[in-house]
Amino acid sequence: MQLVIGGACAGKRGLVQRWYPHARWHALEGAARHAILPASGETLVVSGWAGWIQAALASTPSDDEALRLALTERLDALLATEAERAAQVVLIVEEMGRGIVPMGAERRRLRDLNGWLAQDASARCERVWYVRHGLYRRLDTPDAQVGSCAARD
Amino acid sequence: MIAFVSGGARSGKSAFAERLVRDYQRHRGGPRYYLATATPGDSEMAARIARHRAERGDGWRTLEAAALDLALAEVEPGSSLLLDCLTLWASRALFEFSLEESAALAQLERTLAKARAADIALVIVSNDINEGMPPQDDASWRYLALLQAGHCRVAAEADCVVQVVAGLPQVWKGSLP
Repeated sequence: MQLVIGGACAGKRGLVQRWYPHARWHALEGAARHAILPASGETLVVSGWAGWIQAALASTPSDDEALRLALTERLDALLATEAERAAQVVLIVEEMGRGIVPMGAERRRLRDLNGWLAQDASARCERVWYVRHGLYRRLDTPDAQVGSCAARD
Repeated sequence: MIAFVSGGARSGKSAFAERLVRDYQRHRGGPRYYLATATPGDSEMAARIARHRAERGDGWRTLEAAALDLALAEVEPGSSLLLDCLTLWASRALFEFSLEESAALAQLERTLAKARAADIALVIVSNDINEGMPPQDDASWRYLALLQAGHCRVAAEADCVVQVVAGLPQVWKGSLP
């Protein structure tokens, strides 16, 4: 499993599309939907985590630990299924934790849960990529691999 | 030579970019220019502009133009130019001159092309603003989308891309002189 993280409009999707042009993309939406899992041999790109969290916040008023657990269960299911089915999973997560603390409680919770998601995903991923202004850098190794999201390999 | 320098507020990006332009000028000769995108709309902004001007010191030819490509027409070939900064340019392009994103990006593209054609060492400064909470209103989203499209385009074109953190340059692409 791989994690691609970066700020809004940083070039994350372009990078993943270039690397995996035949991947199936799935954007998470409603919090109540069943976990999406990869089919045998396929590459599955899962995005829209912030949308999932926002929907879940509305239905789970104050239990952030339960929401974090629900997210990690989804990550664990993706990881286990990836291995069982010889598939590849790519997670796209938005970095949103570097601005000022939001005034509204719900946006603060979204920011916290999104940050925990990034940590929990990173801990489970074989490779972690940080995308910034259309350039990428591998974070999970001291030998940083860098490149351009637009360039050809 | 095109370099892109960005960072957070008060990260030291402008001071680093100024040093970079001085280095390029030292190697290449010719004059050095400062292309200002800010206008003194209020007293705080006027003081900010004056502080930046004092910190830069003498020896800069200052250009002020909202249209970047037109400003570059005034720059001598082979010289060095500091463009500070893209965040204000994007703001004025959208909200003062009511440009569509495509027109603003075309202007930026012409600027990059002119710098290449005239062998100008162009150092572009901008703010990193896209790693906080996503905006909640359409105008802010339009602004973020334009600025990020500009950042990605400039970073792709640049020979050198630097992130400044607490005054320290982190090189993402190319190498420093």
